[in-house]
Amino acid sequence: MAKKSNNYNVQYGEPVGMIAAQSVGEPGTQMILRLFHFAGIEATVTTSGLPRLAELVDAKKRPTTPITYVYIEDGAKKDFEKVEAIAKKINEVKMQNIVRRFVENFPKKRIKFFLNSQELEAAGLTSKQIASKIEKLFEVEAEAEEDAVTVRLQTTNMKIIRNTGVRIMRSVISGIEGVGKAIIQQDKKTGEYFIIATGNNLSAIMDVPGVDKYRLYTNDVFAMHKQFGIESARYTLAKELMHTLSEQSITVDHRHLLLIADAMTSSGTIKGIGRHGLSGQKNSVLARAAYEETVKHLINAAAFGEIDPMSGVTENILVGKLIPLGTGSVKLAMKSGDTSKVKKNK
Amino acid sequence: MDQRLGVIDPGLICKTCGARAKTCPGHFGHIELVRPVIHSEFSKIIYMLLQTTCKRCGRILLNDEQIEIFKAKNREILEEGFDSGHIHDEQSEEQTSSIKKLKNLKKCPHCGEAQGKLRFSSPTYFYIDERRLRPDEIRDMLEKIDDSDLRILGIDPEASKPSWLVLSLLLVPPVNVRPSITLESGERSEDDLTHKLVDIIRINQRLDQNINAGAPQIIIDDLWELLQYHVTSYFNNETSGIPPARHRSGRSLKTLAQRLKGKEGRFRYNLSGKRVNYSARTVISVDPYINVDEVGVPLEIASKLTVPFYVTNWNIEKAKELLSRTEYPTILNIVSKDGKRKRVLDINREDLLKEVQPGHILERQLMDGDIVLFNRQPSLHRLSILAHRVKVLPDKTFRINFCVTKPYNADFDGDEMNLHVPQSLEAQAEAFYLMEVKHHIFSPRDGDAIITNSEDGITGMYFLTKDDTYLTKDEAAYLLGIAGIYELPKPDKNGKYKGKDVFSLLLPKGLNFEEKTKRGDFVIKNGILQKGVVTKATYGGGNRLFVKIAMDYGEDVLKTFIFVSSKVADAYVTLAGVTVGVKEYAPNSKLQEDRERIIQETLNNASSMVDQYKNKKLEPLLGYTMRDSLERMIIAELNVARSKAEVSLSKNEDPTNSAMQMTFAGSRGNMLNLEQMTMFLGQQATLSGGRIKRGYYTGRVLPHIAPNDIGPTAHGFVTTNFYMGLSPIDLFMHGVGSRVSEVYKYLLITRSGYLYRRLSNALQDFYVTSDESVRDANNNLIQTVYGGDLINPVSSQFAELEEKESE
Repeated sequence: MAKKSNNYNVQYGEPVGMIAAQSVGEPGTQMILRLFHFAGIEATVTTSGLPRLAELVDAKKRPTTPITYVYIEDGAKKDFEKVEAIAKKINEVKMQNIVRRFVENFPKKRIKFFLNSQELEAAGLTSKQIASKIEKLFEVEAEAEEDAVTVRLQTTNMKIIRNTGVRIMRSVISGIEGVGKAIIQQDKKTGEYFIIATGNNLSAIMDVPGVDKYRLYTNDVFAMHKQFGIESARYTLAKELMHTLSEQSITVDHRHLLLIADAMTSSGTIKGIGRHGLSGQKNSVLARAAYEETVKHLINAAAFGEIDPMSGVTENILVGKLIPLGTGSVKLAMKSGDTSKVKKNK
Repeated sequence: MDQRLGVIDPGLICKTCGARAKTCPGHFGHIELVRPVIHSEFSKIIYMLLQTTCKRCGRILLNDEQIEIFKAKNREILEEGFDSGHIHDEQSEEQTSSIKKLKNLKKCPHCGEAQGKLRFSSPTYFYIDERRLRPDEIRDMLEKIDDSDLRILGIDPEASKPSWLVLSLLLVPPVNVRPSITLESGERSEDDLTHKLVDIIRINQRLDQNINAGAPQIIIDDLWELLQYHVTSYFNNETSGIPPARHRSGRSLKTLAQRLKGKEGRFRYNLSGKRVNYSARTVISVDPYINVDEVGVPLEIASKLTVPFYVTNWNIEKAKELLSRTEYPTILNIVSKDGKRKRVLDINREDLLKEVQPGHILERQLMDGDIVLFNRQPSLHRLSILAHRVKVLPDKTFRINFCVTKPYNADFDGDEMNLHVPQSLEAQAEAFYLMEVKHHIFSPRDGDAIITNSEDGITGMYFLTKDDTYLTKDEAAYLLGIAGIYELPKPDKNGKYKGKDVFSLLLPKGLNFEEKTKRGDFVIKNGILQKGVVTKATYGGGNRLFVKIAMDYGEDVLKTFIFVSSKVADAYVTLAGVTVGVKEYAPNSKLQEDRERIIQETLNNASSMVDQYKNKKLEPLLGYTMRDSLERMIIAELNVARSKAEVSLSKNEDPTNSAMQMTFAGSRGNMLNLEQMTMFLGQQATLSGGRIKRGYYTGRVLPHIAPNDIGPTAHGFVTTNFYMGLSPIDLFMHGVGSRVSEVYKYLLITRSGYLYRRLSNALQDFYVTSDESVRDANNNLIQTVYGGDLINPVSSQFAELEEKESE
C-alpha cells in the first residue's frame, strides 16, 4: 500500500513503548475481573478481561482455557456432514465415556466391557473398531460382540488384570488426546462450517485429513510457537490481545498491541513482561534494582563486577540526568581531531 | 561520635577535611574484625564458587578440553568483558546450567583431589562431609581460584575478587548516613545502623580479649558466631534463618537492606520519585468561562510561585518597572551573577533597583499567560499532565474548563490537583510545543477525541439543534453574544431563529461533514448544519466531527470551537431548563403492561425448562451435564428478558421525558439505568458469573424461599424496579449483587495497577530512532518500522479519514 499520510507519522525519539504501556494499562480499571465469560449458550467458556490480559503479557506457558479453531479444506467446508465427521474424528472419546460398566472375570482371565449404544452412536464408533483399537494399544486379544467388548489376558495375576481394566477405561479410544467439546459453528458471512474445540494439540489435529492446515489457529501462544514458529506466535499474541480488549469494548490502536507482541517475541523466544522476562533482563543494574528484588540485583552486580551502561530511562532518572527519549534523545556529534584551529570565542 | 567520620552538627569542624557541616561530605571508616566473617548476602555466590572449583587447588572443575569448548562458545563474553550486559543473556543461562552440573563431580580433573560433599545451610554455614568450614578456610579456598577460571564463571576479576566476599574489615558509613536525633527531652537517640555498629564493636572487642587471654575454643567459637550474627543482621535484618535484631521496644531494626528495599525504600521512594519546588496544590472547581487551555490560579498561589526573568539590555526597563512595584506582579528574589540570591524587601528595594543590570535573574511572581504544568494523580497516561496558561483569579481553588476534565479523570467533588512552574526556557519551550492542551485533544490510545464536552454540554447542544427548536431574537442574541458572535442568522417567517442556525454560526466557515448516527443522519454542508441533531456520537468523546475540524482547520480552530460551543451549550441548558425528577421514572400504563408481560413470559419459559429438567426431558447442551445446561439456559433466558425490556422502552419514547432525552442524546444515563428504574432490575451477578447460590443446604438463598427451588426469582432475578420499590427478597438479592460489585472494584484497581506497573517497566525504554525502527535502551531492534506504517496513533483517525476522502 502506498503511504499517503506522511503528515501523521510519529516523530523520532517518540517514547512509543511507554505510550503503548499507558494505552493498555490506563483502561485496565474499566475491564471486568470476571474470569469466565459466557457468550450465548453454545459457545465455549473462555477466560476474558483482566485475567486473560495478564495471562497473555506474562507469557503463561499454558492458558487457563486453551481453544482451537479448526477450519476445513475447500472441498468439504460447506458440507455440514463432512465437517461433522471430522469433528467426530477430532473429538476425544475415552473408553470411560462410552462404557456402561465393566466386569472382570479373574479365573477366566478376561474383562468384559458393556458399551452404551447411544453414546457409541453419538461418537460414530462400532464395537469392532473399539476392539481393534484396544488390541493395538495394549497388545491383548479383544473380541467384539454386540454392544460389548471382551478382552482376554494371558495372566491370572489379579493385580495386572485390574490395572489393565482401569488403564483401558482411561485410554483414548478415538479422536485426539486433549481435544474435547468440539462444536461446529457456521461463519455467517461465507457460510462455511468450522470447528471450535477445547485443547491445543495442534500437531495431532494437523494430521487429520481434511483439516485446513493453513488456517489452524489456537489461542495458546506457546502451542502456536511450537507448531508454526515465532512469527506466528507474535501474530497470535497480537490477535489475542486485541480480542481481549475489544471484547470489553475498549478501543486501543493496534500499533500499541503490535509493539507489545513484538517486544515479547523479538528475541526469537516468547518472553513475558515482568521480573522473569523483559524487565528482569535489562542491562542496567540500577533499573533492575529499582524495579523488584532490589538487594539481589545489587549484590550480584557487586560480586560479578557489572557495569551500568546508563542508557535507559530509570537509571537516568535515578541519577538525575535527562532521559534518553524524546527531546533527550538528541545528541551532538562532533568530528574529533585538531582543535587548535578552532577560534576561541572571546 | 568520632569527628573524623564527618560532622553534621552546625559549628563543628570535620577532623578529616576541615570543612563545616554544610560542606563536609562525610568520610568512611572501618572496623578491623578480629576473626573474619562471611558476608551473608553473598553466601549464595560463595556456595556457587565452592561447588564449581576444587577445594585443594582452586581450579575450576572442568578439564582442559571442556574449558576450551566453553571458551569457544562464549568467546564474545570473555573477550569483550562484562560491560555490555552479557551476563543476563541466554548464552549465560546455558553457561550457568552447564556449570551447575559440576557440583556432582567426585574428583578434580586438574589435581585429582577427591571432592568432598559440600553442604550449604543458610545463611552462613558451609560443610564439607559434614565438617563445618570456618570463614577463614573459605576465604583461603576462594583466594586460590585462578583469574582465568573466574572469567569462565562470569566474574570479572578486575572488578571483584571472590575472597572479598569474606569480610575481615567492615566498612563504617559516615555519620551523614546515620544521623542521631536529639529528642525534646534533650536525650540523644541514635540511628538503627549506629546501634548495630555498636553491637559489632562490642562483640569484636570481647572476642579479641578472649583470644588474647587464651580462652577455651568453645567460648571463642561462640563469640565468633555472635559476631557473624551481628554482621549478618547489620546488612539485612530480614535474613531468613536468623531472628531479626530488635530495639528495646521490640521494633525490629531497619538495617542496610531495609533502607533500600521496596516501595518506601531508597530506590523507589527517593530515587525513582523526586520532590520538587515551584509547585502548588489545591482543590479544583469548574469555570465554563475559562478557556480549555487555561487554568485559574488563586492570587495567593500566584504571588508565591515565581518564574525567572532574565535581565538583558533590551528588557531592563521592564525589569526595573517590575522591581519597583510593591504589589502583586512584582519581584520576590534577585539572583546576581555570582549566583547569590537576595530577597527583595521594602527596605532594600531602592538599593536593588540601582544594582540591577543585564545578567541578573529576577524571580517574578506568576502572571497571566505564564505556562505551567497541571496534573492530577493517579497519572495513568501522558494526558494526566498537560501544559496550561495561567489566569490569575480571586478565591482559593484552581479553576479549569469542564471539557478538560476527561484526560485528568477529574471531577469537582473535592479533587485536588498539582501545578508545576517550569523554570528554564528549555522546559517552558518543551511545555509549549509538546504539552499544551491543544496538542492533546486526541488520545494516543486510539486517536479519539478526549478533550470534549459531555453531560450537560451535550444535553444543551441536543436541545439546541433539535428540529423543533426555535429561539426568540433575545434568546438567539444572548447565546451568540456569549459565543462572541455579533450577527444574527436569518429569521423565519414568524421572526424566530432556528436552533440549528445558531449552532451553524459556531462552526468553522465552509465545513463539510457527514455522519450516520443512531438518531439519523448528521449533515453539515458549507459550514451550515443541514440535517440531524447533535448527540454524543457527533459531539462527545470519540467523535469524528472534531477530527474533521482539526484536519481542515487546525488545532487552534478546534480548541476555540470546543470552548465556544461548550459555553453556548451550557447557556442553552440553563435557558431551556432541563429537569429530572422522580416523575421521569414513573412508568406509563403501556410500559407497566409490557413489564408484566415480559416478566410473565420469562418466568413461564423458565419454569417450563425447570419442569423439563425435573422430568428428565431437557435436551442437554453438548459437553455439559443436565444441571449445568439448565443453569446456562435459564441465564440466557433472563438475558433475553432484559433485551425485551430495552426494546419496549425504546418503543415508548416520550419526547417530554428529560431522562429519556438525556439517554438518547448520550449525555447521561443509559438504557440499563432506565430499565432498572422503570421496568425491573434483572439478574444479580456473582463473582463466579453464575446465579446466586449461597445459602442453606436445602439449596435456597433465604428461608423465605421454598427448598430446592431452582426458578429465576429464587436465585437473584429481581422483578421489581426502583420506582415501585424492591420487595424484601429482591432487596436482599440486590444487596448481594452490590456487595459483589464493590469487591470487584477493589480487586480490579489493585490488579490493574500492578499490571500497568509491569507493562510500563518492560516497555519504557522503547523509542523510535531516526531510521524509523523501534529500539530499546541497548539498541536491540524491536520493530523495523513502528507499527508497520510509522503512523502515530494520535493521528490514526486523521490518516483514516484522509484515506477515505481521497478515494
